[in-house]
Amino acid sequence: MNYLWDNIFRRQERQQDVKSILSNNFLFRNLNKRELSLAQTLVHIRRYRTGEAIFRQNESGVGMYIIGKGRVEISIFDDSTGSKQNEKEIVVTTLEPGDFFGEISLVEETSIRSATARAAEDCVLVGFFKSDLVEILDRSPEAGIKIIFRLAEVLGRRLKETTDKISQLKKEIRMIGEMQEVTRDPRRIHPEKN
Amino acid sequence: MILDGSIQKKIKRENLAKLFIVLAIITSGLVAILAIPGLLTSFLLAFVITYLFKPIIVYLERKGVRQIFAILLPFLVLGLVISLASHYIANLITEQATSFQTDLPKYINGFADTLKKPTNALSKALLPYTKVDVGERAASWMQNYATGMIQKIPDWISQFLSTLLLAPFLAFFMLKDGLTIRRSLFSLIPNNLFEVALNLSSQINKQLGQFIRARLLEALIVGLVVWLGLYSIGTPYTTLLALFAALTNLIPYLGPIIGAIPGIVIAFVNHDSFGLIALVASAYLLAQLIDIVFVIPLVVARIVNLHPVTVVIVIVVGSQIMGILGMIISVPVASILKLIFTEFYNHVVDIRS
Repeated sequence: MNYLWDNIFRRQERQQDVKSILSNNFLFRNLNKRELSLAQTLVHIRRYRTGEAIFRQNESGVGMYIIGKGRVEISIFDDSTGSKQNEKEIVVTTLEPGDFFGEISLVEETSIRSATARAAEDCVLVGFFKSDLVEILDRSPEAGIKIIFRLAEVLGRRLKETTDKISQLKKEIRMIGEMQEVTRDPRRIHPEKN
Repeated sequence: MILDGSIQKKIKRENLAKLFIVLAIITSGLVAILAIPGLLTSFLLAFVITYLFKPIIVYLERKGVRQIFAILLPFLVLGLVISLASHYIANLITEQATSFQTDLPKYINGFADTLKKPTNALSKALLPYTKVDVGERAASWMQNYATGMIQKIPDWISQFLSTLLLAPFLAFFMLKDGLTIRRSLFSLIPNNLFEVALNLSSQINKQLGQFIRARLLEALIVGLVVWLGLYSIGTPYTTLLALFAALTNLIPYLGPIIGAIPGIVIAFVNHDSFGLIALVASAYLLAQLIDIVFVIPLVVARIVNLHPVTVVIVIVVGSQIMGILGMIISVPVASILKLIFTEFYNHVVDIRS
């Protein structure tokens, strides 16, 4: 039951921690001191034990998390086996302190988590949720717009990365297709043999 | 990641312990509110003030006013308006209430007299079998009821004053420290239920705020239309009757009927012409028409997600448990319970799938 005592004795220290986590984060970097204090009053500090799920794939989500301490594994279910019982979690990436994840659910109407996030070691996360963003937009629209612009930038970058990856995959698929055709019809490589 | 069984068990145990603590805190809070007389009303009134002031405070903060001043300002303005208006309105209401109290026997007897004619006719027709004395019975019942009510007035006033003094204090701290208290409570919620609880709380908050604002706006419009109508007709006790109509309008379906009864009875007993009685009734009807045609479809209907039959059942249950207060709060409470049930049901379905 450590968390009960933590709340009382280490509040000041933690508030400083949260402020520095927020001010170093890409989404909140443009906020001034006052706006940062407002954001600080709204975010939630969450602690997770090694192996504990932060959220699971296909669950509905309402916000994002910034890693304050520890590492988080992002994984997806491998459904290539075809049976639900044999499904395995494949780790896609491991995130470090300062990284953030789940931000897409801040802007989606009904967001479904596309991956599972699990604490790879004991973690301290700063949670920022849709209701907090709405509260900031209500009380300080300037701060809200700054965050939303940054969020749009992140989502745009992710979209570009995904588009690049899809283009790359398409290119690879085309090449594989061409190679398959060549192996089926060797005349395409040595037409003079005809 | 392959999880050690003992770690999983430990996490589960911790989550259960946290859930137990949260439920214990919520339950003991609710028990305290229900057990201490008047505290529930104070809390409800504080919620109403909080939800009414929140948009004003947000607006002021948006304009750059510091949070503490943005909270204090509406309280100061309200205090000033109440102290200025109470001088006039309280006098007016006291005057009308005293006059109504003096005239009450007249209305009761008048009502009994009005019932005498049909009762006598009925008695003549049924004479060989039974004696019908509806008028006398109604008069004695009304006399007892009215006397009981008048005797209870000092108790009500003292209760009302303590509630009235406590509610703004509670509302002030709800507005000032609400977010901190909410965050502390949420820090105790187990990780596996955290996002569900957070989502639920923001939905409840939004729905409750909209509901309270919409119902008060509805009551205000109904009160104003009734007051204008009765004032232009020249009915006595206009302010008292309009206030009563506005307050009873908070009770869905039954409220408007209860609210119209005193005005119509007064017009009836005063032996006003049929045209005048019809005018009084039409003032109430006009208020209801405006309410049904404009206010309910535009403001209220979007907020409450309950079937009309459920609403009626819920009101009846509310009245059985807590009387008039139960009738007023039953609909939002049922709406919140439905929200909680749906959210947790969806969460369980999510996990299973």
